[in-house]
Amino acid sequence: MRAQVRHRRKRKEQSEYFFDYSLLFVVLFLLGFGLVMIYSASSYEAFQSYGETTYYMKRQLIAIVIGMVMMIVVANIPYHFWERFALLGYLISMALVPVVLTPLGVESHGARRWIKIPGIGLNLQPAEVAKLCLILFLAVMVCKIGKNVRTMKGFILMVVLPIPVVLEIYLITRNLSSAIIIMGISVLMVFVASPDYKKFIVMGALVVAAAALVVFLAVSSTQNAAEGEEVNFRFGRITAWLDPESDAAGTGFQTLQGLYAIGSGGVWGKGLGQSMQKLNYLPEAQNDMIFSIICEELGLFGAIAVIIMFVMLLWRMMVIANNAPDLFGAMLVVGVMGHIAIQAILNIAVVTNSIPNTGISLPFISYGGSSVMFLLIEIGLVLSVARRIQLKEL
Amino acid sequence: MLTDNNKIFHRKKILTIFLVCTGIFLALLGRLVYLCVWESEHYSAMATQLHERERSIKAARGRILDRNGIVLADNRTVCTISVIHNQVEDPEKVIEVLSRELELSEDYVRGRVEKYSAMERVKSNVDKELGDRIREYDLAGVKVDEDYKRYYPYDDLASKVLGFTGGDNQGIIGLEVVYDEYLQGEPGEILTMTDARGIEVEAAGERRVEPVSGLDLHISLDRNIQSYAAQLARQAMATKEADSVSILVMNPQNGEIYACVNVPEFDLNNPFELPEGTPENISEEESRNILNGIWRNGCINDTYEPGSTFKIITAAAGLEAGVVTTESDFSCPGFIVVDDRTIHCHKRAGHGSQNFTQTMMNSCNPALISVGLRLGIDNYYSYFEKFGLKKMTGVDLPGEAGTIMHRKEDMGNVELATVAFGQSFQITPIQLLTTVSSVINGGRRITPHFGIQTTDARGNVVERFEYPVATEIVSGETSATMRGILEMVVQEGSGSNGKVEGFRIGGKTATSQTLPRGSGRYIASFIGFAPADDPQVIAIAIVNNPQGVYYGSQVAAPIVRQLYENILPYLGIE
Repeated sequence: MRAQVRHRRKRKEQSEYFFDYSLLFVVLFLLGFGLVMIYSASSYEAFQSYGETTYYMKRQLIAIVIGMVMMIVVANIPYHFWERFALLGYLISMALVPVVLTPLGVESHGARRWIKIPGIGLNLQPAEVAKLCLILFLAVMVCKIGKNVRTMKGFILMVVLPIPVVLEIYLITRNLSSAIIIMGISVLMVFVASPDYKKFIVMGALVVAAAALVVFLAVSSTQNAAEGEEVNFRFGRITAWLDPESDAAGTGFQTLQGLYAIGSGGVWGKGLGQSMQKLNYLPEAQNDMIFSIICEELGLFGAIAVIIMFVMLLWRMMVIANNAPDLFGAMLVVGVMGHIAIQAILNIAVVTNSIPNTGISLPFISYGGSSVMFLLIEIGLVLSVARRIQLKEL
Repeated sequence: MLTDNNKIFHRKKILTIFLVCTGIFLALLGRLVYLCVWESEHYSAMATQLHERERSIKAARGRILDRNGIVLADNRTVCTISVIHNQVEDPEKVIEVLSRELELSEDYVRGRVEKYSAMERVKSNVDKELGDRIREYDLAGVKVDEDYKRYYPYDDLASKVLGFTGGDNQGIIGLEVVYDEYLQGEPGEILTMTDARGIEVEAAGERRVEPVSGLDLHISLDRNIQSYAAQLARQAMATKEADSVSILVMNPQNGEIYACVNVPEFDLNNPFELPEGTPENISEEESRNILNGIWRNGCINDTYEPGSTFKIITAAAGLEAGVVTTESDFSCPGFIVVDDRTIHCHKRAGHGSQNFTQTMMNSCNPALISVGLRLGIDNYYSYFEKFGLKKMTGVDLPGEAGTIMHRKEDMGNVELATVAFGQSFQITPIQLLTTVSSVINGGRRITPHFGIQTTDARGNVVERFEYPVATEIVSGETSATMRGILEMVVQEGSGSNGKVEGFRIGGKTATSQTLPRGSGRYIASFIGFAPADDPQVIAIAIVNNPQGVYYGSQVAAPIVRQLYENILPYLGIE
């Protein structure tokens, strides 16, 4: 009896609640690893362009520090606090996208996707805001609708809700990849909320069929296009995907340069810092294409290590979602999980030329300030959910 | 709070997502294994090709040495100036310095500097001193690479035999072309890693593929004989105001050519220099034609009517066929009627009665025509072919001219008669010399040649060249008879000007009128060999269009005599 009391007290002294150190460790590892790789991939180009090798790494480090502070803050606020901002967030993300067209918008890499935040030197990508806001909004909506999600009406409502934002991002910022990611996150959340499987299998089949049709159209239109005639740029990307060497100097250039990097890395890699492709050959080496530099320098084993870290991250989030104290918490974690999973999968698929080229960054590793800050806020949300798990429930 | 029932399906769905994602990650891993393992070689090779810039290192071209090991063609260090577009920091200065120092037009240099390429050659074959001076400017993006340039120590010695090379180390004419594959060697490479802008990556180091030097070529030419023969030829050309003079000196036993002179020669170190007095504003094509004329080797590239020297062949054929002996009697009234044509002897009064040896000593046209007619067209033609006169000699120089001869069907007695004393057809001097050699050396038709062997840098023989020899051209007996007759020609006959004190010389003169007849243009020539009983050296001198006295006996025979007076002791012939 006494022993039992002592035991309980000890437990109480430790903590009544759960804190997911594994998740935090994986995230910290990915961030640290990302910094090293950003330095390796960008130092040559940074020196040429800015006269200092650490230009990109420093900026990323600042973004990570700010992101970590925000993560800690968010992790310590009970996640239900955010429930009341769901609709506001949804409206803000809708309102923010068109701002890129105003003088506040910043153009970079031939696309207008960023908003300059006056005062701070950082640029904000409305798509990143939209991802976070929609995860929150849909989590709230799932809880509101409750069992109605099982009806056709509820299901359609859930699927239609993110569409205005998705269309905005696609049409205004011409950012297909972000649109796909947001749509993907939403579908995954609805998938978890609804007990049904059939609808989703049909949806998946439709997506696959549509993709096949687009590929078919692209191939036939390129074949029929007369000499010198401009082929639609997305179609061009598809033909370059099927055979990057056919247009090595044009659309297939980046893909092919990435493949050179991956292929020349081989099983063991050339060694950290030894990449040749980062010497101006591979565009966006520290950004969307950083995974190919990882492959070149650290080889297949470096790539496997990174993939294992992402699988661990997803596994931790699955554990948290499964043990979340309520549906809202679980849905939040599912949204974040979906976000990271989709982005990591699509990035690696693009880099290995498994799907047509489209600009997607690798979560936590790619250079990009606003991306890493919002990801850390999302991790903060997940940690906040994790903290509400009572250990006795585990 | 989640109800337990709900929790179960949520958990199942989340697990599904996790498993599907893990599955996709595994598929991507498979794809990575494919790229990193199976396709690794393919992409590595393509990447290396992309990263490596190569600079070639010229191989040292093999030297050409005479029979005594004297170097006739050598290499000298020169520089190649190039610009690397991406490394040029001050294009205007580079353009200014290079155009001034290299004496090139500014537009040309600008074009090279501004052209976007990894490396652009501005000028090659720049003197080492000038190259060093440009290097001292230390201009970013300007590269001075040393390489070799062909250098001929004796300037115009045997120019039409040796030939010269172009800017890329390739032979253009002469032996330099024929033996190009031996002389050239294999260029090496410096492979450096560069970034996408072409800037070399210092840390990556460089790979070198060392060049393989070309092989040295040893030729049969003797520098001393060549230069003495050239001196004689120049002298004769000056005193006789001739268009050109050719001298060929050969070993009749094996075909090794000791000298091949064609004056005027040209300076091998400046082969593109046009002769003085050439108008300045001639077209590219005209100047090319002039140069081609200057570079022609008359002994091999041009044909002529041999005239009386060809009587050697007619005589040999007659003796071989048995239609004459040395004792056969001939009577020369000063002309001979063939069919409906009267052909005069050079001595209008006639040589009177003479035996066969005497007809050769007198170079009597009617007598040799009679020999030809006795042989008949079929026989004569078959001897012509048997002696190898319709084929090329196979000399190892480019552009050997073929024989211009009547077709057998077109030959009548008149044609036969003219061919018998060396007219109405054309052969090259080398062809005549080779054929006469086979008549006097016992009947072996040798292949005239220069190339003897190639050696590597340490002097080891890599390849000895073999040349075909055809035997039984004439019998040994006929050959011996011909040597006797030709010795008599020099000793007491028309070739007496070719006599050399203390040596037994055989020979035959010729004076042929060039076409069109009556133009007053003649070719005077003399073939002489020594010793007459066992020929070790044979020479032909051909004077083209001499002024004043134009007889071969007066103009050409003394050249060979002077030559022999010097080279017979030199060659150790007694």
